[in-house]
Order: sequence, then structure tokens, then C-alpha cells
Amino acid sequence: MLTAYNRFRLGLTPQRILSVVFIVVLGYLVIVPLFMMLRETFIVHPLERFQIPGSKVGDLTTAHWTRTLFSENAYAFFYRPLLNTLKIAFGMSFLALAIGALLAWLVVRTDMPMKNLIANSAIIPYIMPSWTLSLAWISIFKNQRIGGDKGIFSALTGIETADWFAYGMFPIIITLSLHYFPFGFMLIGGALRNIDAQLEESAELLGASRTTILRRIVMPLALPAIFSTFLLTFSRGLGTFGTPAFLGGPVREFVLSTSLYANLIGQRPGIGYIAAVAMILLGILVLYMDHKIIGTRRSFVTISGKGARAGLVGLGRWRWPVAIGVVAFILGCIAVPIFALAIDTVMLRPGVYSWDNFTWHYWVGDASLTVGLGTGEPGILMNSQLMAALGNTMKLAVVVAVITGILGVLVGYAIVRMRGSWISQALDQMSFLPYLMPSIALGAIFLAMFAVPRGPIPSLHGSFWLLVIVCTVSYLPYAVKAGVSAIRQIGPELEEAALMAGASWWTRMRRVLIPVQKSTYFSGMLLPFISVTRELSLVILLVTPATQLATTITLRYTDRGWYPYTNGMVLLLIIIVITSTVVSRRLMGTNIAKGLGG
Amino acid sequence: MPAIVLEGVSRLYGSKVRAVDDLSLEIPDGSFTTLLGPSGCGKTTTLRMIAGLDSPTFGTIRIGDKVAFSLEEAKSLPPSKRGLGLVFQSYALWPHLTVAKNIAFGLEVQKVGKAEIAKRLEQVATALQINTLLDRYTSELSGGQQQRVAIARVLVMEPSVLLLDEPLSNLDATLRMDMRAELKRLHSETGATIIYVTHDQLEALTMSTHLALLQNGALQQFAPPLEVYAHPANEFAADFLGNPRINLIEGRIEGGHILCGGFNLTLPAGMDPGAPGAVKLGLRAEEMRLHRQAGPGMVRVRVTSVLPTGSDWYYQVRMNHQTLTIRQNATPHLSEGDEVFLEACLDSLKVFGASGKALAMSASVGDSA
Repeated sequence: MLTAYNRFRLGLTPQRILSVVFIVVLGYLVIVPLFMMLRETFIVHPLERFQIPGSKVGDLTTAHWTRTLFSENAYAFFYRPLLNTLKIAFGMSFLALAIGALLAWLVVRTDMPMKNLIANSAIIPYIMPSWTLSLAWISIFKNQRIGGDKGIFSALTGIETADWFAYGMFPIIITLSLHYFPFGFMLIGGALRNIDAQLEESAELLGASRTTILRRIVMPLALPAIFSTFLLTFSRGLGTFGTPAFLGGPVREFVLSTSLYANLIGQRPGIGYIAAVAMILLGILVLYMDHKIIGTRRSFVTISGKGARAGLVGLGRWRWPVAIGVVAFILGCIAVPIFALAIDTVMLRPGVYSWDNFTWHYWVGDASLTVGLGTGEPGILMNSQLMAALGNTMKLAVVVAVITGILGVLVGYAIVRMRGSWISQALDQMSFLPYLMPSIALGAIFLAMFAVPRGPIPSLHGSFWLLVIVCTVSYLPYAVKAGVSAIRQIGPELEEAALMAGASWWTRMRRVLIPVQKSTYFSGMLLPFISVTRELSLVILLVTPATQLATTITLRYTDRGWYPYTNGMVLLLIIIVITSTVVSRRLMGTNIAKGLGG
Repeated sequence: MPAIVLEGVSRLYGSKVRAVDDLSLEIPDGSFTTLLGPSGCGKTTTLRMIAGLDSPTFGTIRIGDKVAFSLEEAKSLPPSKRGLGLVFQSYALWPHLTVAKNIAFGLEVQKVGKAEIAKRLEQVATALQINTLLDRYTSELSGGQQQRVAIARVLVMEPSVLLLDEPLSNLDATLRMDMRAELKRLHSETGATIIYVTHDQLEALTMSTHLALLQNGALQQFAPPLEVYAHPANEFAADFLGNPRINLIEGRIEGGHILCGGFNLTLPAGMDPGAPGAVKLGLRAEEMRLHRQAGPGMVRVRVTSVLPTGSDWYYQVRMNHQTLTIRQNATPHLSEGDEVFLEACLDSLKVFGASGKALAMSASVGDSA
């Protein structure tokens, strides 16, 4: 008994204490919301009692599940959005993978010129908010039947775009894959780069042709990266909200995330959360497949390349045409949407693309009910509401980036140093859970959890800190991933050497662990920063007029059809995001790809 | 007083894995003690427990006159309070600091004054001949230089005991030879106790004054290295030390004679033949000679391969169903396929009973066979 107690006392190391604290905190912020979500699907909510005869608010019921899964409306409510979600996820994952893999192969394995330019700019479509492209699509291709005004394309060519082309599944899949192809480019490019050249050289010596080597050696070796890219993109496709909201909304084409939002807004949380549960289950399925298919084969690509760089495939006279085509494609993904958005902000009357329609009104004009759209709103830069929202976004982004950065390091430290124990596994899995939760549902649950005072925590309804907490939890998976990989690279001896020298835990952190991997930590912070600036679904239910963010206020303007304001705000966000990425890369050597990977 | 005492130290991982099993050891003050064993034998774990980076599951560790770890007293001295210096296998130099900063780190943490730090840095850098490297980052150093910096970083703290965890394993062969001599010099100059972990028996033999041989977490033998070489306590010790490996020839003891292969040796007086059963005779490669002509006690064998190394000739011969390795630096030079005669000329008799333990004999007859 005494020895057991002594053993416990001697075992109180900083990493153990940290781990236990994190388990408690994460348990409250991650596990509790998960159970609350599940519980909501079995409970009668205020407006729902009229649909379920003889029920009182708070009763337990299975009515939501039977209605969602088996009623005559089930198809419209649930199965169609589910099918749409799967269609989008599959379609855009394949397309994004194909584009990304092709680019990666061209950059890593051929003698295509302008590689640096291509490699550096290929990441930008991912940095921009995913719905930038969808707004740009609307600007260019909208038609008068649904969009009200003509898009740029129709105005220039006189051709009226078809509905299926302007809205719905087709543009959703296209724009999402143009947003997500950088995943494949980075992950597959990394895998191709890591393949030991000797493996290819030995195949070559045995008489294999270039195509045989590509097909039988390179492809199988890159397969784990290809699979994990697919699954990563797929899981993003499951939860994506902005794009289907902008492009699917006008034609009432729902996916799980937008139907969840519609149900929560429409006071039908019971049904809404079932969509959330379905999304979580799909996410778990993806994770399971990831584990089954590549779990054991992941190590393929980590073979270190000692041999010389493998010979590059000569493109011959196609070198320049291919390079120019690729550059045009990437610039198209970046410049065309930006240009399209920009044009719409300087056209006084929407849909009329001529010089005499040019105006700075939507940027710097005074409030007016007669000029242009007659919104009664001052121009974007003069608009105190919009500027306040932008300020809130910046404040939130910085605070969340710093907090998640610190948490990522500490949780990563606890996970790596406790490796092999159940605590490490529990922390690892708990910090990953938010990745699976649809962000709208997460936002809704946090609203429910923190709307009223609970124990020592005051009511956070409408407060800035509620946004901070929900964003921190939501981006924790990325931060922890960055933290784990950073600490794992350090190796315990570097810390132990400091321990031997008599450095306290805090000194070791401050003088060894943090400075050694500075740029990795900053990379880990950059992703949450960028994510916050474009976050929409997570915070949409949580903001109040005082805490409006640039994105949420943008959505309100979109609802009213005030696209010049929407597009202007998105442009500002893009400028901020790209500038901060470039600046932090220059100053801190951060690399956005480092924070990704999962 | 011994520098370090381990009493019944065990380290369990989970309930099954015993990394270190009931280890008791007294490391003499001023000794160069090597913990030797194959990978996974618990030697690094032992070193880490001495350093305070790991804690025993059972047992007590004393360093000098202090109790460093005791479960009963709920006491575990922090590593920095144990007066030890540890050189890691990977050197663990901090890549974000210069050589000078790496060496000065410990002194800075201990709040030593600037002037004093500069003085001690100068001293240790001179002693290890790294004065010119002080402003460099560690990534700009060669393996041997990194090694010196790692040692300097530890020596500057003036530890009473120096712990070295396979410090030479990352160096190339020639550099390793130089560093061996240098470490030996370091030992005699500082007079510090050194505990050295390695799986390389040659390092153990060449450098240490004491050798603790470990297998599966348990101590096999603790003695000066040449003593272990000449009188291994068991088959494992005999097999692990020496290159090429010792030849173990199966046989039996009958009527005061050791009958192994074709050899017939007299069992020395005072040696306990142990339980009846199979025994193994240990013959090192240099304890046998090959002759073209037959002589008394010799066994007829056939040469299966000839491996000249320049200074020595290694022969492999077939005796009954066993292959034996013999080292010889004198004539005759034989060729593959030759039928020759093998003579045993033992420096010390090494016979192992069925349990693997060496047959016990009184010290007086130890070297006479």
C-alpha cells in the first residue's frame, strides 16, 4: 500500500500531470458535445411537440429517427441530401486527386520548366476560402432565371447558362475540386520525392521501360499517399458547407450539412442532429477505411532516398506547352475568381459590364437608397458594421492561432512523451474527434452548452470567448497534429540532456523544445489563423450583432442578393490570407504544408 | 567507498517485460566500468536509471553517500542533483544553439556567473581541442567533433561520474579507434568514474577496468574484462566475448577425462565435474594449432576454408559434424581440402555443464590446464 502510494508520488512527472489536465478539459469540450448531439436526436424540442402527438418538451422519443429514416418525406429530408453529399464527396475527391496527382508528377518527375513558380502557386487555391470559387462561379455563370441578373459569361456571349451548369451539383463538384487539388499535389508530391531512386534504378537495370517503372514501381509505392489524399479530400467533402450553401441553395439542392443548418434554423434540431450523426458516422467510416487500407502500408513512402535523384522524364517538345498549360490552369484557379469578384464590386448596376457602369460606390460610397442596388448601406471601406466584423475576424484569428498553437505543443508533448500508455492514446483520439464533427453541429452544441451558466463557467452567449472556444476545439486536430510531429522530431534526448543539466520543465520548454522547432509551431498556428478568417459554418449560429465576423456578415449580404458587398469582403479576406501566408513564410519560415497532412 | 551501488534493481514494463531483473552491482570509485550485452539486454535502461531519467520498479540506487532512488523512502533525486554527466548515443546536441551555448547551457541554468562560465568553457574547450568550433552550430560539425562537444558539455559541469551511452556507435571505424584511446586518456586524466554502455565487446575489452555483462536484464558476470575473457562464468559470457566467436565442442566427462570431439583432456584436480550429462568445451580460435604431422592428443581434421587477413590466417576446419575456427599467425600455410592435425593448447580450461554454467574449480588450478 505504502509502496503503491510512493510509486504514485514518484510518478508525478510534468507530462503525466499535463495529460490528466488535458484529458479532463478535452473530455468536457469534446466528449460531452458528442453525447449531447446524440441525445438531441432522442428528445422532443419546443416546436417539435406539435408534430409528435401527446408529447411534452424534453420527452424521450424515437420519432425523429423514424421520421428521418422511414416516413414518406424521408427521401427529401434525409436520403437525397445524403446521396448528394456522397456524390459531391466522391466526385470532387476523384477530380481533385486526378488534378493534384498529375501536377505532382509533372513537378517532381518531369523536366517541365517553371517548377518553382508552379509549386509555390499551386498551394494558393487551398489558402483562399473554399467558397471564393463558388461566389466567382455565380458571378460568372449565373443566369437571369434564378440569379436575377446576368453573369459575366452571359453578358459577354449572350448565351444564357443552363440551370444545371450555373447551380447545383455540377458547379459544386468543380469548384470544390479546384479548391482541394493542392492536397493531392502536396501529399503525392512528397511521396514521389521520397521514393528511393535506387528502387527505380534497379528496375531500369532489369530492363523495365519508363512506363513499366511508373506503373509497377512508382504507382504502388505512391499508393498509400494517393489513398490518404483521397480519403482526406473525401472527408472534407462530407462536411463542406459554404459551397453547397451558395451554389446549391438557389436551386434548393441540399447536402447533409446544409440540411442540418436549415433544420437548426427552422427549429427542428431533432432531425437536424440526425444529419450530424450521419456525417460523423460517415467520417468514422472513412477513418476506418484509412486504417484498414493504408494503416500498415503508410511506411512505404518514408524510405529515405540515399541514391541519386531518379532521372526525370523528358517531355521533349511538349515541355513548354505543358508548363504554360499548367501555369494557366493554376492562375485560372486564382486570378479568374479574384478578377470576377473584383469586377462585380465595381459595376454599379449588376449584370451590366460596360465602362460607363464603372463605380467605386460599393467600396467608398455613402449610404444611398437610390444609387445602384439602393441598399442604404455605405461602401465597404466606409461601412462601420463590415469593418467591425473584419476587425472581429482578425482578433479572433490571432487569439485562436496563439491558443491552438500553445495547446498543440502541450498536448503534442503529452502525447509523444506518454507514448505507449492509454493516456497518450486517449489524448490522441480525443483531440482528433472534432475533426469528425460537422462544424455546424459543433457550433450548435456549444451554443447549447454555454448559453447558460454551468458550474464555474458563466454564460458565454454572444461573447467573443465562446467563438474562441469553439474555434479552438474545432482546429485542435490540426494543432495537435503539428505539435505531435514537431515534438516527435525532437527526440527525447534533447530534452533529457537539458534535464541532466538541471533545467526545470519550464526552462526545457522555453529554451529547448520550443526554439528547436520554431517554424513548425508557427506553421501549426498559420493553419488555424487562415481557417478562422474564412470560417463560416462553425460560427454561423454563434455570432450576435456584436460579434459578427467578416464571413457571417457576408452571408447575410448574400441572402439579400447584395453581391458587390459580399464579393468585396471576400476579396479583402483573400488579400489578408495571402499576405499573412507570404509574410509568415518570409519571417518565420513557416510552411503551410507542414500544418496540413491530416 | 564504491561510486555507485545498485541493490536488487528491477525495471518492469507492464507486468510481463523485465528490462532489468534484480540487478545488484557495486561500481568501484574511479573505475571504467562497461555495461556490455546484446541489444535489449537492459544496459541502457540501467544507465538511465542511474542517471535518473528512468525509475526502477523495485530496488535501491546509491550514488556516493547519497540515496539516489528508494521506493521505500519515496525518494528519487532529480538527475541534476546526482552529480552525474550523461553523454547520449545521439549526442543530443541542441541544434538551435552554438557549440559555446551548448556547453554553457548547464552552467547558465545553474545561475553560474558569466566570468566563471567563460573560464570553465575555455578550460574544457582547450582540453578537448574544440576552441576553434565554439561559434559554430552543431549541424556544421563532423561526427567526431560533435562527440567532443557532447563530452565537453558534460565535463564542464565537473561530474563525479561520467555516463556514456554507446558514444562511439555513430563514428566510422578509424575515428572509433582514436576515440577509444582518447576516452581512456580522459579517464586517467580526470580520475572520474566512468560507466560506459556498449554492445561492442572489443570496446569493452580495450577500455574498461571492469565489465558487467548483461543478458535479458540479468547480470551474467562482473569482473575485469580479461578475467571474463579467460574465465567466462557461463556459455553466454564465453560466446559473447572474443572475435571470432569461441568454438564450443560438445562432449561428455568420463572417469576424470573430458571427451569432446576427438579431444581427450584430463579433468584437473579440484574441478567439480557437475551433474553427469553433456558438457561443452570452449576453445578460442587462438587456443588451437594446426599441424601437418600427427602428434599426441591431436585430432585429424579437414580444412574447409582459408581466410588470410594479412597478419593472421583464419582457418575453418571440419571436426566430426562441427565447424571450428582457428587463428594462426605462423606456418604451415594450408589450403582448402588439406587433411591436417588439430592440437588444443589451452590458455585456460573452459568447460560448461548442461545448464550452461562453467564448471567450478579452485583458483589455484585455474590457469594450469
